[in-house]
Amino acid sequence: MSQQLKGEPVSPKQGMSLYRWLMLIALALVLAIISLGIGKLSYSWLPPQASAESQLIDNLFSFLVTLGSFIFLGVTGTVLYSIFFQQASKYDSSDGPHIEGNITLEVIWTAIPILLVVWIATYSYQIYIDMNIQTGMGLGHIHLPIKMESAMAAPMTNGSEEVENIDVQAKQWAWVFNYPEQGVSSTELHLPSDRRIRLTLKSEDVIHGFYIPAFRIKQDAIPGRTIQVEFTPIRQGKYRLRDSQFSGTYFATMQANVVVQSPEDYQKWLKTSSKLKPTVAENEAASEYAQEVKASFKTGWPSIAPANPPVVNYHN
Amino acid sequence: MTQISLTPGVSHEGDHPSATHWKTYFSFSTDHKVIGIQYIVTSFFFFLVGGIFAMVIRGELITPPADLVERTVYNAMFTMHGTVMLFLWTFPVLLGLSNYLVPLMIGARDMAFPRLNAIAFWMVPVTGILMMASFLLPSGSAQSGWWSYPPVSIQNPTGYWLNGQTVWILAVAISGVASIMGAVNFVTTIVKMRAPGMTFFRMPAFVWTVFAAQIIQLFGLPALTAGAVMLLFDITVGTSFFDPAKGGDAVLFQHFFWFYSHPAVYVIILPVFGIFSELFPVYARKPLFGYKVVAVSSLIITAVSCLVWVHHMYSSGTAAWMRLVFMLSTMFVSVPTGIKVFAWVATIWGGKLRLNTPMLFALGALIMFVFAGITGIMLAAVPVDIHVNNTYFVVGHFHYVLYGTVTMAIYAALYHWFPKMTGRMYYEGLGKLHFWLTFIGTNLNFLPMHPLGLQGMLRRVASYDPEFTFWNVMASIGGFLLGMSTLPFILNMVSSWVNGAQAPANPWRAIGLEWLVPSPPPHENFEEIPTVISEPYGYGKSDPLVAPVDHGSEALPSEVPSPSH
Amino acid sequence: MSSMITTEHFLRPIVPERHHDEEANSMFGFVVFLLSESVIFISFFVGYIAYKTSAINWLPPGVSGLEVKEPAINTVVLVSSSFVIYIAEKFLERKNLLGFRLFLILTMAMGTYFLVGQGIEWSNLEFGFTSGVFGGMFYLLTGFHGLHVLTGILLQGLILGRSFIPGNYDTGHFGVNATSLFWHFVDVIWIILFVLLYLWQ
Ligand code: HEA
Ligand code: HEA
Ligand code: CUA
Ligand SMILES: [Cu+2]
Repeated sequence: MSQQLKGEPVSPKQGMSLYRWLMLIALALVLAIISLGIGKLSYSWLPPQASAESQLIDNLFSFLVTLGSFIFLGVTGTVLYSIFFQQASKYDSSDGPHIEGNITLEVIWTAIPILLVVWIATYSYQIYIDMNIQTGMGLGHIHLPIKMESAMAAPMTNGSEEVENIDVQAKQWAWVFNYPEQGVSSTELHLPSDRRIRLTLKSEDVIHGFYIPAFRIKQDAIPGRTIQVEFTPIRQGKYRLRDSQFSGTYFATMQANVVVQSPEDYQKWLKTSSKLKPTVAENEAASEYAQEVKASFKTGWPSIAPANPPVVNYHN
Repeated sequence: MTQISLTPGVSHEGDHPSATHWKTYFSFSTDHKVIGIQYIVTSFFFFLVGGIFAMVIRGELITPPADLVERTVYNAMFTMHGTVMLFLWTFPVLLGLSNYLVPLMIGARDMAFPRLNAIAFWMVPVTGILMMASFLLPSGSAQSGWWSYPPVSIQNPTGYWLNGQTVWILAVAISGVASIMGAVNFVTTIVKMRAPGMTFFRMPAFVWTVFAAQIIQLFGLPALTAGAVMLLFDITVGTSFFDPAKGGDAVLFQHFFWFYSHPAVYVIILPVFGIFSELFPVYARKPLFGYKVVAVSSLIITAVSCLVWVHHMYSSGTAAWMRLVFMLSTMFVSVPTGIKVFAWVATIWGGKLRLNTPMLFALGALIMFVFAGITGIMLAAVPVDIHVNNTYFVVGHFHYVLYGTVTMAIYAALYHWFPKMTGRMYYEGLGKLHFWLTFIGTNLNFLPMHPLGLQGMLRRVASYDPEFTFWNVMASIGGFLLGMSTLPFILNMVSSWVNGAQAPANPWRAIGLEWLVPSPPPHENFEEIPTVISEPYGYGKSDPLVAPVDHGSEALPSEVPSPSH
Repeated sequence: MSSMITTEHFLRPIVPERHHDEEANSMFGFVVFLLSESVIFISFFVGYIAYKTSAINWLPPGVSGLEVKEPAINTVVLVSSSFVIYIAEKFLERKNLLGFRLFLILTMAMGTYFLVGQGIEWSNLEFGFTSGVFGGMFYLLTGFHGLHVLTGILLQGLILGRSFIPGNYDTGHFGVNATSLFWHFVDVIWIILFVLLYLWQ
């Protein structure tokens, strides 16, 4: 057993023949085409594009999927080739060629990832700037992280553009939307389409996350701070707002409807709502909690009591 | 030289040192090999515990409403699942492997501080018992996720200072102290205890990765400890470090937490890289391609890992400049990692592959790692992460690394070194069955999480909208399959250990100091400390690894092959 | 730390250099440990700086600042004790046990002086641990450091006691060197702490 068969001599460097080069290039091309196809397909994995930002993000995502597919298929393909065609036969106990490394190869596969990283990062940066969700003082000044108030705040609006200001209040476990100019409060977020929206996020108790998947927009609401987010809805319809930052027992119930309407319908809604008397909105967390407290046989553990259900003009 | 046995009940008769008596494993042994196995078995027990929590999670999520368990219980389940899997499974099991292998691989008789080693190990069961005991408290166990972000974590429904959250912090702190002890021990052992001739660039790549990983523990854990101490005071005595209601800053905790917990994932993955670097050369019969670069890239990962933590906080209200700087640094990790991946592919390429169980697991793990790494790069891109942060896309990403890569690679390592550790061979058929169940289960379980996340399903929810049902059912079926997949493994390990075939010293014809000693190795590992005279991974060449021992060569068991071919 | 040399090692065949190696290993391990320990302090410092530069109401109501004079005297005593323990170490190297003990006791006295001074300061402050972030940080930093001073004094007591075991320090001084290093460490931390808490107001 200690005696080992010597492998037949294999010269490690045979030099690549033209044929091999062509094969390699052809394979890379096929791979590139497949990857591009997967990249195109990747748009369908995402929710509808209901905001201007979502288009930008989806483009970036598709780009990353394309590149990722190429790398993944390239690496797995190579490994699979070895698995299928380079197995030792049952009684062959010889070694493979003694190849310790290859400087050229190593330099190439260090350089290519560096270039790719720079490419991905630059493109992501570009998209991030285009999304225009960050404040005008974002990049230039260095702010202490914990002092930074508005992560996604107003861009330098070019005067002409009107911005719709809405206050968002988060608490355990409800969302309340206030339209300060019209004096309307609601548990459903109504937005005019094709308008720049500026939300001011506040939280009463713990950290919550404002997240509308169809808009690809997410920002934490942090107690003690005021954080602004901006985006532009572009597609009318009904969407879902979800809490994205775990906030305790009834976290999953902290959802709200988002209604994107034509500016006219939106104004109409504001007007009718402002005339409604504020009433107590239904709140899933509150009702589940009440039931839990009443239950004679406890199957769970004590929970923080939900905040008072919101009292708003409009609720559904 | 005679072997002085210190462990009661161990006798070395003839060529076959009999296996360590089972009672030794329940004693305060200071032998690194006993401690290594203690770590592995203990952590595997907790893996099953964490897995049972996962089964509850997947059971709950098979239908949209929160109908299987109460929401508080669900929250406790994912909190404890994450905590147990990280602090009581991946960390300790890798420490166990490192404990067993590092002294053998560098030609030492034991770790630098054997007693400290034993103490550090015994803190693991203490941590585990504390964690489990917290279920019995009136408050229930911790329920704020494995991050335990304040203010949720300082909200205290029962009002007692002794609650699930404080016990959780204590348990994590104890495990942290144990990890620091371990790190001091490993770093000292690797720097100071190498055999003559074992220069840094002759160390097996696994030792390099352990070294790199333990350095992370040294600078990272203290930051988490600092944050945990402050959090504990906030809950118990009412300080206001992280309580915004009293002027504190909740986001500062996130910085403390991730400053450690991001590098922590590299503490986990680095030894796994080491496992890859050890296994591929053996089963492809080729040297590790670009060994030196692979070795050094571990240290580069260590260095970069402490500069990327904010990628977990892109939507936490961090400044724009931070988002962009950390995006770049995070993506940069793919460079040293890519070097390794390509080196493994090149090692396999043109080799003479033998697809036994360890190799299958290693190959499966490698493929899933590349997948996970690519989703990681997507997460690193700020605009994409803004969409998928805290969704199942992230859960998919990290289970592909933590299960698909880390757990699979640990299986690979356990099969590979099982003959060395126990002196027995495992059953190949059961091993292959285990592999296929695991490989299919993992993909069925965790691939559906990606479309779920992209569609906007959030993590940590006990109930979800009906539109997400299909993929959740798929994931749950995959999860149950994964649960089943552990059974052939347990069966294999237990039955082989009890009556598997005797293992020779070097069943895989591998090159390395650990394969020059009998299986299992005698108490102090080497009769004579070997003198290393060549580079590691000399496959396809016939240089001996160690200098010939001029006397007492008859003391070596007969089946030890000479390292030359 | 000297407990790391276990009985097991004495059962091994005695190689002359073995003990020496173990001392070197222990010292190396101890330095690594101190490096790691310092990161806890650095984390607290970073937290302190972050709070201080961002807080709106930094000092609790009714508190105008910290008294500097007494702590400054304390600082001088603590920092000079570093030199005193260094002298003790040198005496031990020259096998002058009496000088060693004398200077060690002096170090302990100076450390105790510091702790008592700290205690008096604490009892005179009009804010507590829960008085806002400032109060929390103040007690956290000084308390955590104070614990280290106490540990240092206890270690010094231990090596003092050991000097009465005949021949205890014939084979090596790891315990003494480690204690001394630890003491220097505690001093350096204090200097940073003093600058951050008292001078930067
Ligand atoms: C062992 C565990 C492990 C490992 C190794 C990694 C590796 C990586 N992770 Fe992952 N990650 C986790 C465990 C891990 N992660 C966990 C547990 C979480 C969630 C915690 C929680 O929230 O609970 C998480 C979350 C997480 C986030 C936060 C997401 C969010 O919460 O919104 C991000 C964002 O950047 C991220 C990125 C990365 C990147 C870039 C890598 C890179 O290191 C990957 C590098 C590898 C490759 C890229 C593949 C191989 C390389 C090549 C083939 C070269 C060519 C490739 C390119 C040029 C792209 N991870
Ligand atoms: C190494 C780490 C690791 C591992 C191995 C796993 C393994 C698994 N994990 Fe996960 N997971 C995490 C680390 C890990 N996990 C982390 C860090 C989180 C985040 C927590 C947080 O949000 O705070 C998480 C969160 C997490 C979630 C998200 C929960 C949520 O956000 O709501 C889900 C959901 O499906 C999940 C599922 C699973 C499943 C099905 C497995 C399966 O692979 C498990 C397979 C099961 C077993 C291996 C057990 C088999 C046992 C039996 C069948 C019984 C036999 C018993 C005896 C013989 C006694 N995990
Ligand atoms: Cu509500 Cu998070
Ligand atoms: Cu990370």
